[in-house]
Amino acid sequence: MNHTIWTRPFYYVFAFLIASISIYPILLMILSSFKTSAEIFTSPLALPKTFNLDTYRNLLEIIPFTTYFMNSVFVSVVSVLLILITSSLAAFYIARFTYVWNNVIFFFFLMGMMLPIKLGIVPLFILMKDLNLLNSLWSLIFMYVATGIPLSILILTGFFRTMPRELEEAARIDGAGNLRILWNVVLPLMRPALGTVMIIQFIQSWNDFFFPLIFITDDLKKTIPVGMLSLFGEYSADWGALFAGLTLASLPMIVLFFIASKQFMEGLTQGAIK
Amino acid sequence: MKPAMNSDSVVKLKKQRNWKRWTIHLFPIPALLIYGVFVVYPLFAALTYSFFDWKGIVRGEFVGLKNFKDLFTLEPFSGLFWNAFGHNILYFVLQMIFQNGLAFILAYIIYKKVKGSEFLKIAYFLPRLLSVIVVGFLWKLILNPNYGALNVILEKLGLEQLQKAWLGDPDTALISIILVNCWYGIGFGVLIFLAGLQSIPKELFEAGKLDGADGLPMIRKIILPLMVPSFMIMTVLTFIQSFEAFELVYAMQGSQGEPYHSTDTLAIYFYRLAFGGSAGGSTTAVGLGSALAVVLFIFISFFTALYLRYMQKKQVDM
Amino acid sequence: MKKMKAFMFVGFLAFILVLSACSSQSGGNSGDSEGEVTLTIGSWRTEDKGSYQKVIDKFNEENPDINVEFKPSKNTEYNTILNTALQSGEGPDIIHLRPYTPGIELADAGYLEPLDGLEGLDQYPEETLSASKGSDDKQYGVPLNISTTQMFYNKKIFDDLGLEEPQTWDELKMLSEKIKDEGITPISLGTKEGWLLSLSHGIIGPAHYGGNEFVDKITAGETDFTSDEFQSSIDAMDEIKQFFPKNYKGLGMEDIRTMFFTGDAAMFPLGSWEIEVLREMNPELELGFFPMPSAVGKEPTITTWVDGSYAINANSEHKEAAKKFLQFMTTEEFGTMFTEEFKMISAIPGIESEDELVNALGKAVEEQSTPYMMLVHFAGGNPSTKATIETELQGMYLGERTPEEVANAVQESAKSWYEPLQ
Repeated sequence: MNHTIWTRPFYYVFAFLIASISIYPILLMILSSFKTSAEIFTSPLALPKTFNLDTYRNLLEIIPFTTYFMNSVFVSVVSVLLILITSSLAAFYIARFTYVWNNVIFFFFLMGMMLPIKLGIVPLFILMKDLNLLNSLWSLIFMYVATGIPLSILILTGFFRTMPRELEEAARIDGAGNLRILWNVVLPLMRPALGTVMIIQFIQSWNDFFFPLIFITDDLKKTIPVGMLSLFGEYSADWGALFAGLTLASLPMIVLFFIASKQFMEGLTQGAIK
Repeated sequence: MKPAMNSDSVVKLKKQRNWKRWTIHLFPIPALLIYGVFVVYPLFAALTYSFFDWKGIVRGEFVGLKNFKDLFTLEPFSGLFWNAFGHNILYFVLQMIFQNGLAFILAYIIYKKVKGSEFLKIAYFLPRLLSVIVVGFLWKLILNPNYGALNVILEKLGLEQLQKAWLGDPDTALISIILVNCWYGIGFGVLIFLAGLQSIPKELFEAGKLDGADGLPMIRKIILPLMVPSFMIMTVLTFIQSFEAFELVYAMQGSQGEPYHSTDTLAIYFYRLAFGGSAGGSTTAVGLGSALAVVLFIFISFFTALYLRYMQKKQVDM
Repeated sequence: MKKMKAFMFVGFLAFILVLSACSSQSGGNSGDSEGEVTLTIGSWRTEDKGSYQKVIDKFNEENPDINVEFKPSKNTEYNTILNTALQSGEGPDIIHLRPYTPGIELADAGYLEPLDGLEGLDQYPEETLSASKGSDDKQYGVPLNISTTQMFYNKKIFDDLGLEEPQTWDELKMLSEKIKDEGITPISLGTKEGWLLSLSHGIIGPAHYGGNEFVDKITAGETDFTSDEFQSSIDAMDEIKQFFPKNYKGLGMEDIRTMFFTGDAAMFPLGSWEIEVLREMNPELELGFFPMPSAVGKEPTITTWVDGSYAINANSEHKEAAKKFLQFMTTEEFGTMFTEEFKMISAIPGIESEDELVNALGKAVEEQSTPYMMLVHFAGGNPSTKATIETELQGMYLGERTPEEVANAVQESAKSWYEPLQ
């Protein structure tokens, strides 16, 4: 068709321009991490003269990076699993049944996003103390699950509602229970939404630094962002080290994403209703 | 839109054993429990702070609504409140345009399967992988007036007159932060809109094409109405996030709303009141801070409820 | 197939749970053996971790049964973390206390243990102790270090241009003109971060309002912030902006430090804690300092205050052990070690440093010191008067406020809580 011929090139230029804006700062961060501070000041945009790995070696020497990494993996994986289970159960209930109180429950969940959770930090601290969870990774997991539930329910409920009911009803007539319908019929069709929730929540729990800052005092229980945060104070004048620290804090997530992205993107397209 | 249950299945449903029907009510319990204990309880416990007089971090006597009254009548508090409120509105508007508007267009382009759409998806999403502190720190370095990349690029392009102290000038500081927020959040928008587009049954497109609708008319007549859930999700989220805007502002400008209150948002203002400014030296006003949080909560929940109501009606109408 | 999947999923979950159970066990109480106690120290000085370890090792030579762990958290979040823990009845045994109002607030709230009868406290002068003295007149903290602010300068630039340390405010302006004519930034200061503004006012202000005499008068309520003396100090802050770097509105701490140590700027109005950082960044930098010369014919001044004290958590289970550690911090042995390791001025009187510059500063403190008035006397109120002058000065540099409006706003803020001015 006529206008497609005209609009295609425009699409391309536009889409790739935005993509380059998305990528460039990250690239700049990684490139700058190989430079010395002096190099960054004199030629901030140039490629590094040499790929100097000393800064990384130094950083890895002072921080127990593998420990932080394992803590982050454990906390994020468990949090995401619990979020997916609890939220899809609740969202299924809210979206698929029309009890009078469903709207109330839905809104009740949304309320959690409307207050800054930092407001409740003192009662939370006391709660964690009473539950004996201070200085435990489980305090973080519970927080990430609890604060992740509202967003996940918002997304999942929205998508559950768009799904045609016919398939479900067929299964129901075959005598399947609710759990089975959710697991075998609904969830497989909801892969794009579940994928979105999964990745967003994973990132969220991976990158948070507020809760570990407050609940975790043991150095070996820290997660990557909070472990890295102390570096920013110590190296505030050494831009080379700062960029290396930023890269080090971000790299695991980027690598994980590239490993998982193929799966994830495929899930996105397959899940679409044909 | 939604097909009504046919009467056969209703009869079948009713025949199901009682306990099976009853178990469905267990579904939301785990979420309610965790969420109730770790979010609702501490927040509401803290909301009561707003009714007390506070000396530093020690709770004094019950003062009723005095904190609320002070927040709106006592200078400089009331001036700061409205100043921050205006910034939140700007945050919302700019994010709707530059984040969600762009995200929809980009999602549509990807959906149309241009070459390299896989790459595009990943590219848009990359910034979202970074921690907000990293994003803030990175952009602070990029926007640095003397050594930062942005001003250097402008110089190389011969656009020296556009160089600015981006984060130090009250005219550009907040807008810079909001645009960085859009940079950070656009990938999520693309993802949600893409998921929405992909759950539109293909037959509808075919039917639309047969009717001669394509391009813009296709978007208007078929895509937009079916994308209501995605739009609803993004609008509600953007609304809540803009009025709760904290982390990025904090990472880039600290908790003082510098320069000269030009980057104050309600959540930053709340943080400053409740926890004192950054790096000591500042005093706290826990009562006022909590009162501010309550006001913010009432405002956000009122408009969210209103909007959800409206969207639900709209969906039923269709 | 489906069952298989579900089974694997449950298995995976169980595996994770077991994993976590193991990991949470290993981190339990570090099992103090009999008679041994473990103290934790909370602080915002993440950069001093190594130096504190040396202090602790020294302490352990005489107190082998007291384990001490130094656990700093990031400067900007330290107050939030500490306050949350204290309000919940937790927190470190030994607390690094912010000086003056914020620290005293904690004492008044009952979170700190009074240090009645702690040996060695009597050696400190009254002004030093006042940084951590409660409103009940009891001492709650052992003062750690004195910070000073003054004008640092690049000796090489001064020598190259044939300049000498200024003796009067006019000389300072004249030499700044000369430096500016050479294409070098005279004064490295940015206005993006408000705290730098109250800090630099603390250096420049006394030269105009007339140092200690004015401080005595205003704390007695005999003058106020709208007086000519104070007004002239704000006018001076406005006047010197012509000597600031290009783009100064957007420059923060790191930027102005970088400008100074790279030799792009000749002078740097900042604090003693920068000496170490500057030397580390550029070991070749020829660093000098001069006290602020007066504009009203008085002695030049170095601005000083107590930058931190150590206190004991009232909820600590090991108060006796903590007292032992604090006592150690009052000894000459500690003071000498502190000046050497941390390159800062010890709050203990009479401790000499081997570092020439630090030593010279220490000397100057004894002879020409004036308090950092905004921090020492006017950090109260909400928003605090100190925060008010920061915002207002920022407004002035951005063209939103006149110097008169700045002084008036400071007066309004102080009047709202400071009794002598009411």
